[in-house]
Amino acid sequence: MMPDNAGYYYAAYVVAAVVYVMYAVSIWVRRRRQ
Amino acid sequence: MALRWSGAHLPPDQAHIAIDPLSIAAFIAVAATFVRAIWFTPLERIQGPAQKIFYIHAPAAWVAFLAFGLVAIASGIYLWLRDERLDRFAESSAEVGVVFTTVVLVTGPLWGRPVWGTWWTWDARLTLTLFLWFIYVGYLVMRGAVDDRAVRARYSAVLGILGALLIPFIHLSVYMFRTLHPLPIVMKASRPSLPGEMLLTLLLAFASFTLLYVALLRARYLLAEERDRLQDSVA
Repeated sequence: MMPDNAGYYYAAYVVAAVVYVMYAVSIWVRRRRQ
Repeated sequence: MALRWSGAHLPPDQAHIAIDPLSIAAFIAVAATFVRAIWFTPLERIQGPAQKIFYIHAPAAWVAFLAFGLVAIASGIYLWLRDERLDRFAESSAEVGVVFTTVVLVTGPLWGRPVWGTWWTWDARLTLTLFLWFIYVGYLVMRGAVDDRAVRARYSAVLGILGALLIPFIHLSVYMFRTLHPLPIVMKASRPSLPGEMLLTLLLAFASFTLLYVALLRARYLLAEERDRLQDSVA
């Protein structure tokens, strides 16, 4: 039977997306503040 | 205020509002990779849905190695030519590399918990990857602590080169040491050991994450260039 571990996979995709978006936003904010 | 397609040639006070086509392309490519991985790639029977973490974990690791490898190359050439553009490139690549390594270090345990039964183990590959992250976080902290630009660039170049020496050890650690971490599936001498649909998703992820790296690197480089220009105008 296939293991039911989808929660970990959803969490990984959400975390990765949040990290990339937050970093892109941080560059934008830093350029704006200069 | 008019929106323009590239921030590179706008005055510094308007550069942040520019729409960069490279960033848009990278965003679309990564979004397409997520959609394909989540909805159009079959589940692996033994590991279950958690196996899909692999499509964001392995490409993030590849980009981290690429980013830090380029830090070392740019730093080496900087020590030879003393061109500030190389220092800015190394600084930018190191910061983007830390972001991708962070994703590697977060997604790895999220796969390890359901598949290995533990969030973390101090095996060679995991431990060396954590050390790599610490070295480049230290690199960025050190850059923030040194005011003199030439001194900062020289110290950073040496640390940037030394840190990248870990990369081959991390890649080969699964062969050199007894480790829980799986062996390479694509980056190996023989053919990739993955069914066609999964391999296509993985290759798309490698391409889109590399494009994302280039877009973030370019944006971060422009930030560093504007900062240096402002410092020069104040001095």
